[in-house]
Amino acid sequence: MNDSSAVQFGAVTVVLLLVLFYGGTYAISRGIRKKNENADEYMTAGNKIGFGISAASMTATWIWASSMYASAASGYEYGISGPIHYGLWGALMILFIYPFGKRIRSVAPKAHSIAEVMHARHGRSSQLMLAGSNVVGSVISLMSNFIAGGVLISMLSPFNFIQGVLAVAAGVLLYTLWSGFRASVLTDFIQVMAMLGAVAIIVPFIFFAAGFPAAFETGSANLTPAQGNFFSSEAFLGQGAPYIAAVLAYAIGNQTIAQRLFAVREDLIKPTFITATVGYGAMVIGVGMIGVLALYLGFEPTNGDVNNIIPEMAASYLPGILLALFFVMIIGALSSTADSDLAALSSIMMADIYGQNVAGKEKANPKTMLFIGRLTMVLASAVAVAFASLQLNILDLLVFVGALWGALVFPVLASFYWGKVTNKAFTTAVIAALVIFIPVRFELIPLVGPVGILVDILSAVGIAVILGLMSFGFFGLRVAKIVAAAAFLLSAPFVIGFLHDYATLSASLVAYAVSTLVCYFMSFRQKDDFDFSLIRKRTGDFDEAEDEETAVAEASVAPRGAAGRTAVAIDDAPQSRGGSATGPKKEDN
Amino acid sequence: MSAGIIALTAYTLVWPVLVAIVMIVIGRAFVQEWKEARDEGIDLV
Repeated sequence: MNDSSAVQFGAVTVVLLLVLFYGGTYAISRGIRKKNENADEYMTAGNKIGFGISAASMTATWIWASSMYASAASGYEYGISGPIHYGLWGALMILFIYPFGKRIRSVAPKAHSIAEVMHARHGRSSQLMLAGSNVVGSVISLMSNFIAGGVLISMLSPFNFIQGVLAVAAGVLLYTLWSGFRASVLTDFIQVMAMLGAVAIIVPFIFFAAGFPAAFETGSANLTPAQGNFFSSEAFLGQGAPYIAAVLAYAIGNQTIAQRLFAVREDLIKPTFITATVGYGAMVIGVGMIGVLALYLGFEPTNGDVNNIIPEMAASYLPGILLALFFVMIIGALSSTADSDLAALSSIMMADIYGQNVAGKEKANPKTMLFIGRLTMVLASAVAVAFASLQLNILDLLVFVGALWGALVFPVLASFYWGKVTNKAFTTAVIAALVIFIPVRFELIPLVGPVGILVDILSAVGIAVILGLMSFGFFGLRVAKIVAAAAFLLSAPFVIGFLHDYATLSASLVAYAVSTLVCYFMSFRQKDDFDFSLIRKRTGDFDEAEDEETAVAEASVAPRGAAGRTAVAIDDAPQSRGGSATGPKKEDN
Repeated sequence: MSAGIIALTAYTLVWPVLVAIVMIVIGRAFVQEWKEARDEGIDLV
């Protein structure tokens, strides 16, 4: 990887590009730096970010280096429908969470994480299950982005992998550490502009430089019939279906999405998430098309490693200046996700661990929270760098964690709508799903005979649950029940006796099914109905004194046109004080 | 060029066009928010 023939940039050029990129983002974060940061703003930027910044941030956060590499690999492996089966379903993860996001914001307008809301809804065990899965996901994502940075720098420069990892980790930490989420979302805007601009230029350039559209004709012999078929069932089963199963799981299990749900102005959730869906989908599918072009060209990546397709296609067809733009695009993609992971991890440690479980909401000290947030960022970066050097298979890890998140989806979402769901039902459902998921995923028991049939029946239930929940978000319970029933009846004949051969997909679907069935049957006979208005009282700002000072200061300097906005900020403040409602409570609601 | 080649070309190049449109939408919104924040004397984030 580091042999001289592969070196495209000199050491000075790479250092200059990194200094330009990280120096620029640091300068932007310096511009918004406050000597005394507010703990709540460090986590969610005051819950009032506008459409432009939040849409840019959601897009930038969801696009990471692996999105591009994996989308191109999918195009190279599955042909013309490959990038769609990677990018479309990844984009729908953003789209399908927004109806639930609107509900979550309405019951907990000033929360910092979904786990924090679970604490208010159920108690500690449900909260820590969700927070724990959030932490695992963010650490893996952080590690993956550092690895991508190390690989890119070692491939395109004389520097080695470890030097690349350290440069990226230090660069991201430099601009994120002081202002946290505020720095993350503002720098996301610049990063997404660089990324989108690069794709808009680079993809058409490679297309024409590589001899397309004529090469579509001359290279068609390089495709198998399945690769040339837009409706390839091979691509759907190999790439699309496992991703559809993960659509809601990733959205629920990832604190970076939740943070943006709580940060954006409540009336802007829908346009923000729809725009991010289109932005993510277009960019990732667009880059994935480079993999399809490579397939038509008969391009062979070095060592047969499909992760080399994107950088090697870029190095083959782009002139120096555009190769530098490509370099910035990948660095921007991995940095924008890494800074979001750091902000997500710090908010979980600040709000969920310290704020709710160590000090308690009433006694939490905002200055201590900020110290914990910054310490978390430093420690998480160190852990991610240490694990990055092991170069684990990240996508395998993420597929595994994504399937685990499937066990949480129904209990979490049902807890926001259905007052009968109890802490015991939530916890038991998730544990039961995991207990069954593990042996199915790793085939610890042979999936043959009656066991195979049982797994297939549960998989059909899992399909019904996923499609039912997706419908529920947009169309309500009645349509969701019809869709779920139809999904079960239509999928069962195809699934039963067949799907257990696909252990990864089956395990994921079984996790959905088991957690849903256990949660439902443990809850539906409950007589108590939870009062959702309690959540608003039990969640909210930790740093209220400074919020009020800020609001008063803003009101004093703002001209008349802004009075409406600042008045709302002041009026909101008393509502977030819980009084006795935020105190200790019985855990099982 | 055959219809198939034209379709494949459009299928490849529609994504960069969509990306450019999203860029413009987000960019314009950001500039407007930045101006509002500056005029009102409040923080952008």
